[in-house]
Amino acid sequence: MADRRSTTEMSNGTEPRERDVVALAVMINRMEGVVRKMTNTLFRTARSTVLNTARDFSCCVVSANHELLAMGESLPIHVISGPDLISRWLTELHHDLRRGDAFLHNSPYHGNSHAGDHCIVVPVIDEQGVHRATALVKAHMADIGNSEPTTLTATARDVYEEGALIFPCVKIQEGYRDIGDVIRMCETRIRVPEDWYGDYLGMIGAARVGEREMLRIGEEVGWDAFERYVADWLDYSEERIRATIRTLPAGRRTGYDIHDAVPLRGVENGVQLQATVTVDPSAGVIEIDLRDNPDCLPCGINLTQSTSQTGALIGVFNSIDHTLPRNTGSARAINILLRENCCMGIPVHPASCSMATSGLSERLAGIVQRTLAEFQDGIGMASTGPECPPATAGLSGRDPRNGNARFVDMMILGNSGGAGHPHGDGWLTNGETSDGGSMMRDSTEVLELLRPIRVWSDRIVPDTEGAGRFRGAPSLYVEYGPVETELEVLYAADGTVNPALGTRGGESGALVRPFMRKADGEIVALQAWTRVVLEPGETIVSISSGGGGYGPPVERDPDHVRRDVLEGWISEQRASAVYGVVLASDGSIDLEATAARRAALAEGDDGSAATRLEDSVMRLLEPGVRLWPTRGPTA
Amino acid sequence: MRLAADTGGTFTDLVVERGQGVQLYKSATTPADPASGIINAIALAAQDAQTTVQALLAETDVFIHGTTRAINAILTGTTARTALICTRGHPDMLLLREGGRTQPFNWSYGYPDPYIPRALTFEVAERIGSQGEIVQALDRPAAIEVIEQLAAAQVESVAVCLLWSIANPAHELALGELLERHLPGVPYTLSHALNPTLREYRRASCAAIDASLKPLMNAYLEGLEARLRGAGFAGRLLMVTSSGGVVDASDMAAAPIHSINSGPAMAPVAGRHYAALDGDCENAVVADTGGTSYDVALVRRGRIPVTRETWLGLEYEGHITGFPAVDVRSVGAGGGSIAWMDAGGLLHVGPQSAAADPGPVCYGRGGVLPTVTDASVVLGYIDPEYFLGGMMRLDAAGSAEAIQQRIAGPLGLDLHEAAAAIMAVATERMIQSIEEITVNQGVDPRTAVLVGGGGAAGLNAVAIGRRLGSPRVVIPQAGAVLSARGALMSDLLSEYASAFFSGSDGFDHARADQLLSELRTRCLRFASRAGTSAPPQIEYIAEARYRHQVWQLDVPLRNGELGSPEALQHLIEDFHAVHEEVYAVRDERAVIEVVNLRARVRCPLGEPVADTVALAPASHAATTREVYFSGTGALDAAVHRLEETPPGTTITGPAIIESSFTTVVLHPGASAERSSSGSIVIIPELAEAGVPSCPARSPDVVS
Repeated sequence: MADRRSTTEMSNGTEPRERDVVALAVMINRMEGVVRKMTNTLFRTARSTVLNTARDFSCCVVSANHELLAMGESLPIHVISGPDLISRWLTELHHDLRRGDAFLHNSPYHGNSHAGDHCIVVPVIDEQGVHRATALVKAHMADIGNSEPTTLTATARDVYEEGALIFPCVKIQEGYRDIGDVIRMCETRIRVPEDWYGDYLGMIGAARVGEREMLRIGEEVGWDAFERYVADWLDYSEERIRATIRTLPAGRRTGYDIHDAVPLRGVENGVQLQATVTVDPSAGVIEIDLRDNPDCLPCGINLTQSTSQTGALIGVFNSIDHTLPRNTGSARAINILLRENCCMGIPVHPASCSMATSGLSERLAGIVQRTLAEFQDGIGMASTGPECPPATAGLSGRDPRNGNARFVDMMILGNSGGAGHPHGDGWLTNGETSDGGSMMRDSTEVLELLRPIRVWSDRIVPDTEGAGRFRGAPSLYVEYGPVETELEVLYAADGTVNPALGTRGGESGALVRPFMRKADGEIVALQAWTRVVLEPGETIVSISSGGGGYGPPVERDPDHVRRDVLEGWISEQRASAVYGVVLASDGSIDLEATAARRAALAEGDDGSAATRLEDSVMRLLEPGVRLWPTRGPTA
Repeated sequence: MRLAADTGGTFTDLVVERGQGVQLYKSATTPADPASGIINAIALAAQDAQTTVQALLAETDVFIHGTTRAINAILTGTTARTALICTRGHPDMLLLREGGRTQPFNWSYGYPDPYIPRALTFEVAERIGSQGEIVQALDRPAAIEVIEQLAAAQVESVAVCLLWSIANPAHELALGELLERHLPGVPYTLSHALNPTLREYRRASCAAIDASLKPLMNAYLEGLEARLRGAGFAGRLLMVTSSGGVVDASDMAAAPIHSINSGPAMAPVAGRHYAALDGDCENAVVADTGGTSYDVALVRRGRIPVTRETWLGLEYEGHITGFPAVDVRSVGAGGGSIAWMDAGGLLHVGPQSAAADPGPVCYGRGGVLPTVTDASVVLGYIDPEYFLGGMMRLDAAGSAEAIQQRIAGPLGLDLHEAAAAIMAVATERMIQSIEEITVNQGVDPRTAVLVGGGGAAGLNAVAIGRRLGSPRVVIPQAGAVLSARGALMSDLLSEYASAFFSGSDGFDHARADQLLSELRTRCLRFASRAGTSAPPQIEYIAEARYRHQVWQLDVPLRNGELGSPEALQHLIEDFHAVHEEVYAVRDERAVIEVVNLRARVRCPLGEPVADTVALAPASHAATTREVYFSGTGALDAAVHRLEETPPGTTITGPAIIESSFTTVVLHPGASAERSSSGSIVIIPELAEAGVPSCPARSPDVVS
């Protein structure tokens, strides 16, 4: 086995120590297995579709020294940074941690992502009473008792208007039993308390499963050995990322983007954003400076410390070697410069951070990955579509099938299209940059089973992709409405004005478009940040944003363009106008016409505006229109 | 008498269980007409028993068959041209799937294609609601128009998946009738009938995969059954399923999706048996080396893991099959895997395979590309005069020439070094696949016995065992036919389900009892012709959840009934207990909903019939031959014939142990002993100090 061990200088300068690479890999994967078990527990037991179907939650294990160790299939925005900060706050606020304790935490001012994410934090305490690790479950709740039945409010001027109950590491279990006072507070404020309690139980179950499994590991390998594994793992991760950064070109660039306006004084013109990225290969360090951004804004889109750091880290991890471990060790090589009271920095109470896991963090990751793309072809990525169209709305009302019982939930269908990247097209179900596509999407049948709604349509919209050598993913069209009841719909959509930008010559994706179809069939446009109450017979039509493209569209492989046409992703007109690919009547590529068309495009004949969203969307709004293929199926 | 036949990419394996003995046979697979390969193997058995194929088959009560046919068709893209008919507005179910990815930062590839292209997806106007109510009636004229388009598109099979067909199948059934009338002869699958599960993507994916396999599997099964019947077989033809059970051939033809992973599903059953018997260990890595693929499964504490949700390809990104399956991983590395050089001058082995036809160069059937088997011939591992017991003479010069020209020359190596490099690359790929099921799941491979199955297993089992740190490597006497052997060791198992929905706050006792009684009848019908003497065991299961949960837990019913309030009370108590055991919490306040009722019938075979250890007297003096080992170069290795090696014999490397079916290479420093069951038990090398040890089997978990 000698060839499978490596001896390496520790970065902290201690004596070189022989690592058993196999044993380390087994240990790390075992912890990943612990996280998978935690994840499975909450997924299978939760009562809200946002958890039991869309899986908008994360589980992880943090060391006693506040280092992220394993994140399983968690959503990056929830865990890359956040659990480390929460672990620090836990030990700062509670000096006497005991086995059987559990804490409820959601404070945006104490390391959490946003108030809508409830965390259950369980310290793993060994037989001697020593705190060895922390199991953490973070779930996006259907409701947290805000002023309105949604956890994503862009139009709240501060945390008071948002109305969130804030729990900064509040003890909710002691000796493995609920602390009734806290439970009663939640039950008297959070809408549909029995569903909340069901979800809470699932979170407790997941955290306790994590605690049980971590204790087992500690017993088997011994806690001292465990800590050596942790140190080796983080050092190994740091070495890996520094080696990767050493291969990048040196330089400093600033990237920009604009978040859409929010209808409140001070943000009515949109928010100009920027990030300065410095790559220093000799030191093996990437620095991201976010300090030149506006102060905290008088609305709900401010980032928290955890989402500012994570948004920037996601942009980096999206851009370089994907096999790098994501943990505190690799984060050591990325310096993120934040300042207090900044909308992309560290928020100051009572700034509202209700949307901190979407809006600005999406824009931030996009800026970082587009800026890195400018350093060199083959790295970086375009921007993923801006988020939160009405197909991801908060839904509430009463269910006539169930004694008019109240319900509050959040649907996750038809979110943003993924960005084109150096090796392929955008991920269709990417949803948001901040989860890299790892969130699930709802099933029409599960939604209709649990809530009195009907999903009439769920499909892609042709010609909405950000064109490119590798194109962005197209928009998704989702139409839904209530069944024999009223339905309250709340959403806060970025991207109706500023699209997902392409990079290295790639084009922007299509904009978000919210509509309502009235009972008589009339279509009316809706606002970007709003609350709508639908009557029976009325529906919401949600069109999400397309992802940006990577590289010039005329460099796209003509075979890929042809396939996109035959499969109904783009029209034949767009293939010619934007990609310069002309198809013959039998569906094959007309090589001569294609060469001519591409030459014309190279000389500046820009036809990209010719076939765009408007046509495509308007065709969709006619019921029963067959959208594809533009020619018959081919053998 | 019972027979089990397993058709692999290169060989067809046959195991005959007659009275108290088990005999093994192997014949070349005949890809154009797989039934011939099976009949050829039966002919070998008949010859051995000095009887005719007709007489042997006439005596056969049960014939169990596993095949890789379905999965090969999927992997090679040769399934039927299949269309999907779906509810209007929802054409992208197969494309969108359920979302999710396991590696959020891995942007090294683009978004995966749907199982059925969008261009062959057709919407029909109709809508059923969640309560089964008809929201919009099926537009029959429009549906007929769609079916005409299917005909024009020369579709060979059709999958139908409509929303809420599980609540009301009327529209799917109507489409079935229209397809029969307007597209006669084209098979179709209705989603509610195949897998009545909630979640439209799962049903659509299941139906699509199933429909795409129907034309080819129906033709195959009809052909096989006709051939066997024609040759005198009057017994029961059972097909191995992906979950390690068996079903009647006619049931498999109706739902061929169940055969997807049937090929390797039985190997772990046999592997577990030999790991416990010869390795005294309840953890085992069971590796089956075929001609085309290397299939590995992990036996953990005596249990064979079954995955609940199986995907073709990657989880979330591939295509869900919707049914449980034995967790077997495959890589394209086997005896027939082709060694090739890429443009950059790097050596690769597989995944392309010379398969059975033309086969490796040394088979002399026209193959020109060097394979792992050719490398083994060059290295002296395989005796060209004694392949398949001398039934097939190998062209050693052809192997050498192919490796010299295509590998050794370009790499600037001598012939033996090149052959050793081919073995090393193949070995590395196999090790990676084992690490995937051990290290990646937090299991240390040093705590597991390696069980090598497949004729080519012994060629590099020691090399693999050394790299993994395996304490022991077991090559069972029946290793060369491991899957077929496993099929005769596993109980006959089948499962039936009925959709049933009722809450504990208003439970429908009468309906539940009626459905359970129907399930009992189906189980007994299955058991009546199982050819086993022990009484069948039937287990009844309620799938249940708390109200507003959407995933169920299996709760066994204590007495197989739900007619009485006491039985419901037991179910409620048991559900709370199972929920707490699995998920660490219970919710005494919540209503419990039963969503499905299932029954599982098991026809136990009793103790497995032991392998017959047939010994022959030593026919010739001890021989040696020159074998090339990387590191030491050519050495004289003692050659032992397995059938002349009595149990208890110890052999030390360098040595070769060969039989008609297999060759085991013992490297210098390794030692082996023949066990009383006939297996070769190898200690690859002295264990390092401080390495985790293998947990010995405990009688209660080895079943």
